[in-house]
Amino acid sequence: MDLMQKLTILADSAKYDVACTSSGVNRGGAHGSIGSASAPGICHTFSADGRCVSLLKVLMTNVCTFDCAYCVNRRSNDVPRAAFTPQELADLTIQFYRRNYIEGLFLSSAVLVNPDYTTEQMIKALELLRGPYRFRGYIHAKAIPGADPLLIQRLGILADRLSVNIELPSAASLDRLAPDKKKASILTPMKQIAVGHAQNRKELAVYRNAPKFAPAGQSTQMIVGATPETDRQILKLTEGLYHRYSLKRVFYSAYIPVSQDSRLPALDTKPPLLREHRLYQADWLLRFYHFDADEILDDDNPNFDPFLDPKCNWALHHLEQFPVDINRAPLEMLLRVPGIGPKSAKRIVQARRHSQLGLDELKRIGVVLKRAQYFIVCKGFTSAHGTNRRAIASALIDPNVFTAHTEQLSLFSLGETPQLSAAGISPDLTLPQAKEAAISCIANRM
Amino acid sequence: MYRESDVVYRYDGSFEGFLCCVFESISQKEIPFDILPWDFAATTLFSEKDIPTEIAKATRVKSSFSKKLGKAAPTCIAHAFLSCHPQKELLLLRFLILGYAKGPAVLSMAGHPDVAPVLAMEKQVSSEAHQFTGFLRFCDYGEFLGSTISPKNYVLPLLRLHFCQRYPSENFLIYDQTHNAVLLYFNGVSEYLILDKPPVFPAVSAEEQAYQTMWKQFYQTISISARENPRCRQTHCPKRYRVNMTELADER
Repeated sequence: MDLMQKLTILADSAKYDVACTSSGVNRGGAHGSIGSASAPGICHTFSADGRCVSLLKVLMTNVCTFDCAYCVNRRSNDVPRAAFTPQELADLTIQFYRRNYIEGLFLSSAVLVNPDYTTEQMIKALELLRGPYRFRGYIHAKAIPGADPLLIQRLGILADRLSVNIELPSAASLDRLAPDKKKASILTPMKQIAVGHAQNRKELAVYRNAPKFAPAGQSTQMIVGATPETDRQILKLTEGLYHRYSLKRVFYSAYIPVSQDSRLPALDTKPPLLREHRLYQADWLLRFYHFDADEILDDDNPNFDPFLDPKCNWALHHLEQFPVDINRAPLEMLLRVPGIGPKSAKRIVQARRHSQLGLDELKRIGVVLKRAQYFIVCKGFTSAHGTNRRAIASALIDPNVFTAHTEQLSLFSLGETPQLSAAGISPDLTLPQAKEAAISCIANRM
Repeated sequence: MYRESDVVYRYDGSFEGFLCCVFESISQKEIPFDILPWDFAATTLFSEKDIPTEIAKATRVKSSFSKKLGKAAPTCIAHAFLSCHPQKELLLLRFLILGYAKGPAVLSMAGHPDVAPVLAMEKQVSSEAHQFTGFLRFCDYGEFLGSTISPKNYVLPLLRLHFCQRYPSENFLIYDQTHNAVLLYFNGVSEYLILDKPPVFPAVSAEEQAYQTMWKQFYQTISISARENPRCRQTHCPKRYRVNMTELADER
């Protein structure tokens, strides 16, 4: 089998892995070596599905001894199988890297023979890169659950970021769909990496040439929509992971049916992309906007509103906290105003030291006044707070949901939003009609 | 107090030349109607003043930036000057005049009408340079790696450090089509050249062709067809970048 075929098979098997980020570590170049890394990360291209391609994302092998129902590489699936040799993979990475196609390597693997053997193969490839090739670019490696802690330690020294996939949002779902994986076997390496990373930070503070263990931290991902968990459960789990294992990122992957199985949604189910989008929005609120999961969703509303992003939704449920005085409010409160993000909030705090801010200044700073105007007061402006509810609703509604050619967020992915029928919107309305109905629905709730 | 004057400054287009315009404006206490490079072919109704480039004056102005406007100012001003904005000189001048009056605080006055455009230019230049650190493609010609880009702003100076650090042992050449300029890095030394005519790249070897094909194949394979979303891709990777991207050039 030639390299081209292997690359095709092993990239195809890796494409459902979500993370392709190259962020979290700064490393300059060095004489006689190749590569560097930049902390914000660099996207090298965008694939037809609009996702960033930053790393050469491949599996070491897709030959698997496990049989997880949701996975395209499961033992019982009849697909072509292949495996890279460590040498082939290292060569390919360097050649792609020289041409500036990629920022580095994302190496995952199916479980060949057993987790230890698989991890050893991955380590061999990474040792070639970091050793003889003197590669200083970015490497993201998957820790295989069940591998020996010493091997994971070695992997962490070679890679910049490690990740362990939590796969499904609850232990019950894991038992049902991935009988070979246990919750404990996933959380053990995750904990090991978290502890190892924290300990390494201390060592580095004492001795700056100490070997770095996963300097860009760890991430994880889970499949959304294959199992019955609510958005609230998923978000609580995410929050727990950020707190307990100090993860850098949690990724969500809308389930795309890859097999006919009675335990899974039918093959013609569309991936719940809108739900995934809302989860990411909420994830941002947790990480950059000082929100708690309990503020975003509660027992009465366990799922996201399909028409509103979680921040607008929160603001509409807490109108008593508005309007916010731009020239006085603390940063945390500015961050809660729809239309103000972390950057503009910071700029507002800096700029208001020098002069009182009015609408013109806010516009120049980059605040989205279309949404913010209903929630703020500033110099010469006393909030459009009192305007009619319909106008507010139509300014806040997520426009992407009703744009015909954004296939991604089309509301009419059947079965994805049960709230639709509850709001009196049937799938045979045209987009503008559906939008009107949604606006009325929001206005009535206010 | 500065007087709004209807004279047009003409300078040589270099950063030092611009600094001399700043010197002239401030010593005369006048704000010109416009500041244009000599090679900018436009006759105006206004009287023109040729500003010669004098290194001594330029150095004086340059050293005032960090002294009067704070540590972050020199980089911000230098980056904003690389912008393709037709009135970048005048916008920068107004910003500097305000800055000399207000001190380092000027950089945080993001809402001020004289500050916002400069911050916007700086942002546009840096983000375009950042895009090119990813979207630029090299082609292996045996002796060196070659690349062509067509940026809006003059981003070569911002790419130099990034690529020299990344490929210290390679020889490479980046050709900026828009400004007819080249960044050369040979045997560990980098330099900029302005060209009269486009460079001619040698023929592509079979090995290079093979890697290009493999990269295209990888690019096609990594996308999930059930999630296809052309508009999202368009937002993140606008069509103007795709001309010189191996995997997207054919698709346009």
